[in-house]
Amino acid sequence: MSLEKKIRNFLQGPRKGETFELKNGLVSQYKHERKDAIQRVIQAMTVGKDVSALFPDVLKNIATYDIEQKKLVYLYLMNYAKTHPELCILAVNTFVQDTEDPNPLIRALAIRTMGCIRVSKMVDYMEIPLSRTLSDDNPYVRKTAALCVAKLFDLNPEMCIEYGFLENLKKLINDSNPMVVANALSALYEIRDMKEHIPGFEDLDVFTTNETVIKNLLLCLNECTEWGRITILTTLNDYQTDNQEELIHIIERIVPQLQHVNPSVVLSSIKAIIHHLDALRNQEMKESILRKLSAPLVSLVSNSIPEAQYVGLKNIRIILEKYPTVLSKELRVFFIKYSDPLYLKLEKLEIMIRLSNDLNVKLLLGELKEYAMEFEPSLVSKAIKCIGSVAIKLQSCTVKSVNLLCTLIDQRGGDLIINESLGVLINILRRYPGKNDLITLIVPVISNHINGIEDNNDTLSGYIWCLGEYPKYFQNTETLENLTLFVDDFLNYDSTIQLNLLNTIVKINLTNNNTYSNLLQKVLELATQGCENADVRDKAYIYWRLLSSDDTASQQKIISHKLPPINTTISSFNPNVLESLIDELSTVSSVYHKPASTFIDKNAYTRPSGASIPGSSKVKGSSNGGKGGIEDLTTMAKQEIINNAKNENLLDFDDDETDDTSSFNANGGSNGGRTSVLDDLNDLFAAIPQQQQEQQKQQPLNIPKGSNSDILSLFDQQPASSSNKPANKQSGNVNNDLLDLF
Amino acid sequence: MGQVFSFTNIFGKLWGINKDIRILILGLDGAGKTTILYRLQMGEVVTTKPTIGFNVETLKYKNLTLNIWDLGGQTSIRPYWRCYYSNTAAVIFVVDSTDKDRIAIASKELHMMLKEEELLDSALLVFANKQDQPGAMTAAEVSQALNLTDLKDRSWSIVASSAIKGEGLTEGLDWLMDVIKDEQL
Repeated sequence: MSLEKKIRNFLQGPRKGETFELKNGLVSQYKHERKDAIQRVIQAMTVGKDVSALFPDVLKNIATYDIEQKKLVYLYLMNYAKTHPELCILAVNTFVQDTEDPNPLIRALAIRTMGCIRVSKMVDYMEIPLSRTLSDDNPYVRKTAALCVAKLFDLNPEMCIEYGFLENLKKLINDSNPMVVANALSALYEIRDMKEHIPGFEDLDVFTTNETVIKNLLLCLNECTEWGRITILTTLNDYQTDNQEELIHIIERIVPQLQHVNPSVVLSSIKAIIHHLDALRNQEMKESILRKLSAPLVSLVSNSIPEAQYVGLKNIRIILEKYPTVLSKELRVFFIKYSDPLYLKLEKLEIMIRLSNDLNVKLLLGELKEYAMEFEPSLVSKAIKCIGSVAIKLQSCTVKSVNLLCTLIDQRGGDLIINESLGVLINILRRYPGKNDLITLIVPVISNHINGIEDNNDTLSGYIWCLGEYPKYFQNTETLENLTLFVDDFLNYDSTIQLNLLNTIVKINLTNNNTYSNLLQKVLELATQGCENADVRDKAYIYWRLLSSDDTASQQKIISHKLPPINTTISSFNPNVLESLIDELSTVSSVYHKPASTFIDKNAYTRPSGASIPGSSKVKGSSNGGKGGIEDLTTMAKQEIINNAKNENLLDFDDDETDDTSSFNANGGSNGGRTSVLDDLNDLFAAIPQQQQEQQKQQPLNIPKGSNSDILSLFDQQPASSSNKPANKQSGNVNNDLLDLF
Repeated sequence: MGQVFSFTNIFGKLWGINKDIRILILGLDGAGKTTILYRLQMGEVVTTKPTIGFNVETLKYKNLTLNIWDLGGQTSIRPYWRCYYSNTAAVIFVVDSTDKDRIAIASKELHMMLKEEELLDSALLVFANKQDQPGAMTAAEVSQALNLTDLKDRSWSIVASSAIKGEGLTEGLDWLMDVIKDEQL
C-alpha cells in the first residue's frame, strides 16, 4: 500500500458501524471474507434489519461458482430488488448465464429468482431465459419456469402473450412429467384469476379442458406431490361432462386418492367426486360410490391435529346436508374425547345430532347425558340443547328425552342445567302441541323450577307462553302470582318477554272470563304509555282495540290462534347457499359456512385503471432522467440510511456508554460514518448540485429536533454560525438516540 | 467467524496469497470487452451478446489471482460503473478502433472515470481493439483521440489488439502485471 494511500485513509477518519463493516467485507479482496460478509448480511436481513443500503455491493457477488453463495445473493435480491429497481439490471447478465448452467438446480434457481424480482425493467430481459427454461430438458427447471409465467403475466400481460409464453404454458399441460403438468395448471389458474382484474384481458382464453387433457391429468394424478394432486383435483372438479363412461372413469381414478395421508388431498377428492356424482345417472353406482366416501370422511376426523379435525368436521356438516345418509353408521366416530378442545366438542355435537336416527338414538342419548354432566358450561348447555333437538327430530324418543332432562334437573340441578332444560322442554311442547301425556309430564317440572330462573330470556318467555297456552295445567294461584310479579316489573324486561306477557295475559283473560282484568288493564297501560319499544306498544294498542269491540267471535279467533308446531331445531343452509358451499368444499368458505362472495370483496384485487406495475413509477422517474425523480429517490434512500444508522447507534451503545463524558466525540465518529454513507449515496446520484445535497442531508437530521427541543434550544441560543449548525443538529440526534433508549 | 482467524488466512493475508487482484474491463458497447475477457480466460473466442450487467472471471496469471470484471458498456449501464470502482488495481479500457464516430464519447467516458477518487491509484491499460478489421486506427491514433498524453501521475499504456486473433492481449496483460507487482510490493 502506498504511503499516499495510507495518508488518505488516515485523513478519511475513523469509520465504523455494522453497515460499513459489511460493505468492506462484501468488496474484500479475499473470497472467504466476501462469503462471510454475505452470510452476515442475510443474517441481518432475517432478523429484520434493513440492509438494503448494501444492495450494489451484494449484487457484485452474484457471479460465483459457489452455489451456496449464489443462493444467498439471490435471496437478498428477491428481498430488496424493489428498493433499487434501477440497479437490478446489473444482475441480468448473470441470470441469463445461469439459465444456461449445466446444473439444473442453478437454472431453476435463476429463473425463479428472476420471476420473483418484481421490477418492470427486469421484465424486458426475461424473454430469452424464460423461453429457454420453459423448454428445458430437466422437468425441475420446466416446472419452476411454468410458475414464472404467471408472475410475468402479473407484471406485464401484453408481453406474456406476445412472446407466446401463455401458449407455451398451455402446452406444458401435456408434458410428460406430472409435476410440470401440475405447476402449469396452477400457473394457468393464477393467470385466469388475474385476468379478471386487468382491463382489456377479461376475454382472454386462458385454458379449456377437454377429454384428452383430462385423460392426461388423470394419468398424472397418482404421481404428483400433494400440492400437484390438489391442483389437478381442482381441475377435475371444474370439468363438466355428461358422458357417462368418462364420468365413471374420472371417478374411478379419483377414488384411490381418498386414501392419501394428506387430509387436503382427501377433501379435494371428495369434493371432485361429489361434484361428478350429480351427473351420474346410474343410481346403484351412485349409492356404492357414496358408501366409499364414508371411510375417508371418517379419516378426516381421526387426524391428530385438532384444527385439521375441525376443518374436516365443518366440511362434513356441509356434505351431510347434501347426503344425510352418507355417515349414518359412523356415529361413534364423532363421540367427544375428553382431550378435545372445546370448539371441536361443540362441532362434534352438531354432527352427532344430524346423524341421529331411530336406530342409534339410544346410544346417542346416553352419550349426550354424559356430556350434560361435564363441567364446561358451553358444552353442558349445548348438550342439553342437542337432547332437545333429537327429541324434536325423532318422535320415538321424545318421552325418553324428556325423562332424561327431568333426571338431569333432579340429580344434577344447578342454574345452568335447569335454565337450559326448561327452555328445551318448552320447545318440545311446541313440537308436539296438545299431547296430554307430554304436557302432564313437562308442566309440573317447569312450574317447580321456574322460580330459580331470572336472567334467561328464552326460558322465561317460553314459560310465559306456556302459561297462556296451557292455563289448565298450572295452578291458578301460581299463575296469578307469577303474572303479577312479571307485570310489576314489566318495563324492565326485554321486548320478547314483554310481547309474550301481553299475549299471555290477553289470552288467559279471554279464556277465564275476565278474572285477570286488573292485570290486563295494568299491562295495557304500561305497554302503551311507558314502553319504549314500538312493537310492544303497537301490539298493545291492537289488542286494546280488539278487546274494545263487541265481536267476541273474532276476538276468540284471533287471540286463541295456535302457533304452527316447530319441525326442527337443527339449523340448515338455504339451498342456494348449500349449492355454492358444496362447490367451495375444502376452501375457507367451507369453514366459515359462508359462500366466498359474501366475505371476499370482489374489487379488492382490481387494479385501478391506468395504474402501473408496482415499482415502475420509481423506475420511470429515474429513467426519464427527470431530476425530480432522482431527488425523490435520493431523499427516500437517505431516509432509509438514516434510520439504519440510528439502529446502529443503538446497537453500538455499549461502546458509547463506557466513555460517557466523551460521548459527543464517540458519536461524532459514528456520525462521520453515517455521513460517509450518505456521501456514497450522493455519488450514486451525482447529478444533484452540492448545495442541494447539503440541504437534503440536513433535512432528515432535523426531524428528531421536536422531541428534544429543550436541548436544542440551548444550542440555538448560542450565536450559531452556519458552520457549526450541522454539528448541533447531530448532537440533537445523538441525544434523541440516548432518549430512545430509556 | 472461526474461519476468518484460521492460520492459513492470517498468513495468507500477510503474504498476499489468496488475494484477488481486481481488474475492471470498461469501454463503450460493442468494443469487445466480453470477447477479451473470455479470450483471456479460456483462450478461445466465444459468441457474445450485449452484456446487461457484468461478467466476472477469475484468472491465474503469473502467480497472481486476477478477478477480472467485464462491465456492460451500454449507455444505460455506464452510470453504474462507479459501483465497481472500489479496491480496483487496474482498469482495462477497450476501444473499438474502427468506430471513429464514437471515439470522442469513449474519450469523454474515460476521462470522467479517471477523475474518480477511488481510481486515482489504478493503472490504466487501453486496448485499441479490432485491429484485424480494415480501416482500424492505429494505437497512436487512438492514443491521440483519447488524449492519453494528458494523463499525469498515472501509469498507463496503450496496446493495439485483436481479440478475435488473440494478438496484443498477453503483451498488454504482461505490462499490467509488472505495474501491479510494483504497486503491491
